[in-house]
Amino acid sequence: MTRLCVDIPVVETDRLVLREPRESDLEAHVAFMTGDRSRFVGGPVDRSQAVRGFMSMVGHWVFRGYGLWVMALKTDDTPIGRIGFIYPDGWDEPEIGWHVYDGHEGQGYAFEAAKAALPVGSAKFGLDGVISYVAPGNARSIALAERLGATVERERELLGATCRVYRHPKQAEAS
Amino acid sequence: MSLPEIPVIETRRLILRGPEAEDYPDFKATFSSYRSRFMGGPLNAYEAWMLYAAEIGHWQIRGYGMWMIHHRDTGATLGMAGGWKPAKWPEAEIAWIIWPDKAGQGFALEATNAVRQYFYGTLGWDGAVSYLDPKNLDSIRLAERLGATRDKTAASVDGNDVVYRHPAPAALEGTQLAHGIDMEISHYADPLFQPKGYALD
Repeated sequence: MTRLCVDIPVVETDRLVLREPRESDLEAHVAFMTGDRSRFVGGPVDRSQAVRGFMSMVGHWVFRGYGLWVMALKTDDTPIGRIGFIYPDGWDEPEIGWHVYDGHEGQGYAFEAAKAALPVGSAKFGLDGVISYVAPGNARSIALAERLGATVERERELLGATCRVYRHPKQAEAS
Repeated sequence: MSLPEIPVIETRRLILRGPEAEDYPDFKATFSSYRSRFMGGPLNAYEAWMLYAAEIGHWQIRGYGMWMIHHRDTGATLGMAGGWKPAKWPEAEIAWIIWPDKAGQGFALEATNAVRQYFYGTLGWDGAVSYLDPKNLDSIRLAERLGATRDKTAASVDGNDVVYRHPAPAALEGTQLAHGIDMEISHYADPLFQPKGYALD
């Protein structure tokens, strides 16, 4: 028998739990990826592509040992977005990526999650001083990257669009 | 978080195992080629990797998925076969793909017949369909060799595919159809086998 094993650590913040993806999170993800707010993260896509992307989350943890968490509200476990470390084929190196679903933006959730996720990446996954690919027009994510202390290193083409490569400070340097 | 064990299925010429990271280059080669045109391809590197990761995710969510087909003697990968049911797929599908340079040797027939037996016998499925591109004549022919027939009344995935319905488990137990499939597979495995004489009527 082939035994597939994946250990997805649970990370808690004041208001959030970063946890493994569950099938019950699927519809929230599909709604986001088929909607206009996914335009900076490879969307909008059709339903089947969104479903495939969701299933890929689990496979990413299996293959890389790290991946995207679902950001869920501590109060009622509502999935409000995703954050984590991704390194698919075509990426130069692992990045920390995030997106917040409709209706939950503007409340500092992504910042809160990123502040908790970055040290986990360094301590558990050996990912320190990682990059974030951010589309030049994605003002919210640019603001978050800069708030996290990341700086623009260069630009590159990614999946047919230009994006900025932000470099996060190493954990030892991050305040 | 634990994932389901992926059973190993063995046939006369093949060993079917869960998809492993080391098999990805073979998967990518086919899915970035024209061969994958009936399965949403050709894909770029990112799309191919995400689809391969989704193969694993499918096992986690459904408890079944696509196996990597290995040649028993060489260990080389030959393609994939198994079950596929993303959200909102009308029914569970039996699917397959053979790498282009491995086609024509009956591997898809042997692997798909084995996974169908697993779904029926071990998981207790009472049927299955295959969603095929109407231009994918090789796969339509394989569906027919497996005893599947066109089901014009069944819901398709998006209207661009045709639905082939596999025979129910009872139609594959000791029937002429089952014997015919076994015989065709054995002829591929043992090409020296020759029938004695000729049928006169």
